[in-house]
Amino acid sequence: MNAVLKNTTSTQWEPAADQVIVRAENIAKYFDVSPPWLNRVLERQKRAILHAVDGVSFEIKRGETLSLVGESGCGKSTVARLLVGLYTPTFGRVNFFGRDLREMNSQRGRSLRQKLQMIFQDPYASLNPRWRVADIIAEPLKAHGLMKDKAQIIARVDELLQQVRLAPADKLKFPHQFSGGQRQRLSIARALATKPEFLVCDEPTSALDVSVQAQVLNLMKELQREMGLTYLFISHNLAVVHHISDRVGVMYLGKIVELASRTTLFKTPRHPYTCMLLDAIPDLEMSGRARTPVGGEVPNPLNPPAGCTFHPRCPHANARCRVEVPLLKLYRHPGGETQAACHGVEENRI
Amino acid sequence: MNTAPLLEVRNLRIEFPTRRGTLVAVDDISFSIAPGEVLGVVGESGAGKSLTGAAIIGLLEPPGRIAGGEVKLAGLRLDTLPYDEMRKIRGRQIGAIFQDPLTSLNPLFTVGQQLVETITTHLDMSANKARTRAIELLASTGIPAPDRRIDHYPHQFSGGMRQRVVIALALAAEPKLLIADEPTTALDVSIQAQIISLLKKLCREHGTAVMLVTHDMGVIAETADRVAVMYAGRIAEIGPVADVIHRPQHPYTVGLMGSIPTFGHETERLTQINGSMPRLTAIPSGCAFHPRCVHTFDRCPRERPGLLPAGTSLAACWLHDVTGGRVAA
Repeated sequence: MNAVLKNTTSTQWEPAADQVIVRAENIAKYFDVSPPWLNRVLERQKRAILHAVDGVSFEIKRGETLSLVGESGCGKSTVARLLVGLYTPTFGRVNFFGRDLREMNSQRGRSLRQKLQMIFQDPYASLNPRWRVADIIAEPLKAHGLMKDKAQIIARVDELLQQVRLAPADKLKFPHQFSGGQRQRLSIARALATKPEFLVCDEPTSALDVSVQAQVLNLMKELQREMGLTYLFISHNLAVVHHISDRVGVMYLGKIVELASRTTLFKTPRHPYTCMLLDAIPDLEMSGRARTPVGGEVPNPLNPPAGCTFHPRCPHANARCRVEVPLLKLYRHPGGETQAACHGVEENRI
Repeated sequence: MNTAPLLEVRNLRIEFPTRRGTLVAVDDISFSIAPGEVLGVVGESGAGKSLTGAAIIGLLEPPGRIAGGEVKLAGLRLDTLPYDEMRKIRGRQIGAIFQDPLTSLNPLFTVGQQLVETITTHLDMSANKARTRAIELLASTGIPAPDRRIDHYPHQFSGGMRQRVVIALALAAEPKLLIADEPTTALDVSIQAQIISLLKKLCREHGTAVMLVTHDMGVIAETADRVAVMYAGRIAEIGPVADVIHRPQHPYTVGLMGSIPTFGHETERLTQINGSMPRLTAIPSGCAFHPRCVHTFDRCPRERPGLLPAGTSLAACWLHDVTGGRVAA
């Protein structure tokens, strides 16, 4: 790992397997959602700062899939955008191949940017309806100046289309001529054009029907095996996350509350919020388990509860939980290793 | 026990006339719902499940129209009923819950005004009594401080709370049948679980029959007694929920169940159904599923299968035709 950090000045790296290629170091993103200045002065309204992501740290190793799950408004999409540089963190930094992601906008950062691509949720909104598929997929190649020769570009587009199981003849079509699942494959082909190492996938299958979702998930796994891709997978669907991930982070109100390997997290969840989420999934197996629907809803992120933000909904909350913010700590237990941010787990109450 | 079905749908056909010809969105479907029963209707987008619900409550958007078949509620033909008569049925006999709770509520009126209006329209009650009843209804859906919340506007409620208000509205006149179209799709999982258990509890208490339209097999597994699987405007399979989930008989249901990621077993690859649902302009001949089916044989593209007995379910698939015999299964 140190070897990578030393490489910060060079633009060439030969990363070894099993090495951390992405590291988020205590990243945060705050949004100013205050009312306009005049209202603040006349109506004595206060400034309002939304802590969308509030101090999140994790590492992703080469070739692995880290998933972030959580309910709407927990900040998981903001993390995705921070990781590709669509947002600049308010504080903290994102390390990508040992280099700060902020460099990415400079000329020198171009080579970094090629290694990093994103797939968005809505395949209807992320493809330009007026462009032909060939132009859509070739755009990253042209933007990064990777290929100049027309014949070469066409050959690469054909290759990419075949990689996502579409036909080379499809390149003459427009996006509206494709179904939702096919469109998502087009976005994947576009993302793969620059031969990236790391793909950030923000809810890539949420807009798709289950049978089509299965096609896209299978394709993503196959591509990962063939090309050694690393994924950050954002989803609210725990079953999908269970299927695709190696490690899973659970987010609640801008923080990671639990982070563990997939098996550990799903077999022995530690944080009460994770237990609640797992409990809330409708059960296909119909084992007739008694479900305890946890009451309450996600609090307003503009005015989050003090202490542990989950305490108003938590059955194990005590006085400490109401005042002190729990930190993400590593726990070893028979089920494996878990990082959890919970006083109850720390005190062995849960 | 009253065994006569509450809702009977026979050979329902819904068409959309367009400039390029008539599109058949729902083609010859039949099913029934017994009093107090929960029938789940699943299918992928474009399968016609929402249209079926809309046709039953008479809310098909023109140019869509019922082109054949009949819809009977407790013996009364609904599809031929004049508009004004149907208005009296809607809300009183059949309640409806839609996916997006914000668009089902009027943003300009308080929740209380909307509830009172619904109650006084359908039941013979004074405004004062109706308000008391409205507060009771809100309380029964688990809204905290209902006597205060009743004077709030829809935007002051969160998504989950709004859906509770919509449920209260739908059940205000104690309908015999509730049509719930994707009632939990717009909600987060933890809220979804709350809404499902609420819906189950209230319908059991009132003996309301439910037609639950959703694409989420998990919700069906938790809630429904029987389930109908729709594909390209037709029913592919219908049967008791446990049988359809654990012993699916139609190849489409088999594929659909296999493509859902579950926690029970580890799989590297999900079963996938290749291709996608046909467009309404190009529904394949014979069995609509045959181009994507792994068991297709020569009879499938030629003849359209009806619902044939298969185990405890009914499946529209020639594999289950005992008389004709399989030629190449």
